[in-house]
Amino acid sequence: MKVSFPYMGPVTAYRKLFEQLGYEVIVPPRPTQRTVELGAKNSPEFACFPFKVLMGSYIEACELGAELIFSSGGHGPCRAGFYGEIHARNLKNLGYQAEVVIFDEPLYNWKGFYNNVKRLKGDNSFFRLLRATFLTYRVMSELDKCERLLHRISPYQRKAGSAEKAWLLIQKEYANVFNGKGLALARSKTEEIIKEIELSKVEERDRIKIGIIGEIYVVLEPSINMGIENILNDLGCETERSQYLSEWVDYMLIPGKGKKEKGIMAKAEKYIDIVIGGHAKQNIGHIIDFKERGFDGIVHLKPFACLPELVTESIIPEMSRVYDIPILTLSLDEQSGLTNNLTRIEAFVDLIRKKDRARHIS
Amino acid sequence: MQIGIPGALLYQYYISFWRPFFEELGFQVVISGNTNKELVNRGVKVSVPELCVPVKIFIGHVFELLDKGVDFVFIPRMEAIRRGEFFCPKFMGLPAIMKYGVPGVKGKLLTCQINARSDDISNYKHYLPLLDKLDLSIKELKKAAAFSGEKWKRFRTINKMGYMSCEANKMVVEGVSGKELLPKENNNHIKLGLLGYVYNIYDDFVNMGITGKLNQMGIDFITFDMYEEELLDQYVAQLSKPLFWTFTNKLLGAGYQMLQKKLVDGIIHITAFGCGPDAFLGRLLELESDRAKIPYMLIRIDEHTGENHLQTRVEAFIDMLKRRKSKIS
Repeated sequence: MKVSFPYMGPVTAYRKLFEQLGYEVIVPPRPTQRTVELGAKNSPEFACFPFKVLMGSYIEACELGAELIFSSGGHGPCRAGFYGEIHARNLKNLGYQAEVVIFDEPLYNWKGFYNNVKRLKGDNSFFRLLRATFLTYRVMSELDKCERLLHRISPYQRKAGSAEKAWLLIQKEYANVFNGKGLALARSKTEEIIKEIELSKVEERDRIKIGIIGEIYVVLEPSINMGIENILNDLGCETERSQYLSEWVDYMLIPGKGKKEKGIMAKAEKYIDIVIGGHAKQNIGHIIDFKERGFDGIVHLKPFACLPELVTESIIPEMSRVYDIPILTLSLDEQSGLTNNLTRIEAFVDLIRKKDRARHIS
Repeated sequence: MQIGIPGALLYQYYISFWRPFFEELGFQVVISGNTNKELVNRGVKVSVPELCVPVKIFIGHVFELLDKGVDFVFIPRMEAIRRGEFFCPKFMGLPAIMKYGVPGVKGKLLTCQINARSDDISNYKHYLPLLDKLDLSIKELKKAAAFSGEKWKRFRTINKMGYMSCEANKMVVEGVSGKELLPKENNNHIKLGLLGYVYNIYDDFVNMGITGKLNQMGIDFITFDMYEEELLDQYVAQLSKPLFWTFTNKLLGAGYQMLQKKLVDGIIHITAFGCGPDAFLGRLLELESDRAKIPYMLIRIDEHTGENHLQTRVEAFIDMLKRRKSKIS
């Protein structure tokens, strides 16, 4: 059976899960202009941007012959939890036969979750499913760790593009991992690859660190956020995201591992005391967290008219003032212009540099 | 002491509860006036551009109350009125948006958390956070909540007889109990479903008086608030996974009922620019209207909408319905 899934962040990692279970995997093409246009054309006008990109991705996957699409759901109040329902209807309306299987949170709908797991498992044993899941999880966390490191050192690379090249090589290494042994091998190779990147020495006080917060899909997927981390790296800033897929998995699925996220949420309590959907509360917490860890600025990404992030955005000016940290909000959708955003980002980084210099002089 | 209640968002649905509630507790209730251009502009100025119009209008109303010098502005956090469902995240974050995003509100915000099991929000427990701020006793609170809960139920009774929320609210104030009323009857030829949240269909500024226009044309229409909650729930249950937002579900249930029972000749859905839940609701209704072969028109309104365009579209839609009806019969 040909299966597919959304394209979000470390695809190398989670395609493993399906490969290990013996499915024929159709990786949807990395979102391009065509994906976005296809999605926008076949979605409600005011659906959020991730909805449209996923719609486009699913259509492209169907064109390649996907018969089964796995995705995650939710139970509100953010719209993302309802994506699957509309996607399935739209695909059917367009005449595609593919079935959409949505994983809701286990606590919300036990029976549905169990049925979906059985569906995913197919003829495999539960042991095999567990092993595949565990391997996927480990690959995912290690890739996330690498990515985090690369975006910290890439502004100081001697030769332009060497960090990006390293990232591609590392992904290739991990693509060939099928068991624990392979994992260890990939790890040692990765260390070598990273060691080969030549770095120039920069004093701690001259470093600029920027945190990236926002809605999970636009934060995780470089192809639809203009490769924000690379842009900032090229401008000489270290970056760190608020979200990594493995951390999201920790929080959602692994009991006892979501401590970090809970700590972040506790920080936000003062501003938003309940979960209002999406990652609005976490993002407020991350602003405070980044500030406490000495970051110089924050870029806040959100899809146009994202419901929870609009609440965050309304609070941001006040937080920026109280915590004395510059925050730039960028709204992304199918009509966002790259040059316009680049100009804003450059101006933002200039501002941070000046602010930094002024602090050192005084 | 004066307590201000903004005449926006859920005002039309719950004012029959909130006004007597605060009056019974011995406060003077001040309600902001009708929405107008200047008020909207003030809201637009301070809010994040992408917020939906209803929230911007709400901010405008809050400003008007502050101008009037009220001691507190009542902005409850509407969290849920059904188990497992929510309000739109913007409603849930409304007090936060107001407190940190709108200058001048911080010291005057009167808020509490409403997390009820049904549309009836008269349980005194929701209002406990008000005790300290307003210096009340639990006994007073209980009494006022019970008293105004009755008023609100009376409003719903009248509302469900086919009177619009705004009419029903007025009748409650005038002391109509609902028992002496007959269900509103109309013998007009064209029957229309008018779907939209209370803050869109009953705010004459934002929808440019569409209800008045329809009345003038002699068109009979039904809205979601005229339905029994249980009936709506039945239709919502058709979805294997219902939507997450209670009022969106209500609209969906009303829409499904109208379409499947072929109760109406056409549906006009009024939505505000940037309304997230409506993006999905619209798609679901669109699909259902295809199946039922009943015309469905979506009108999106925002702070820039021109009145003529709306008039033309509504008239053209009605003309089409009339022609269609004469052809079929």
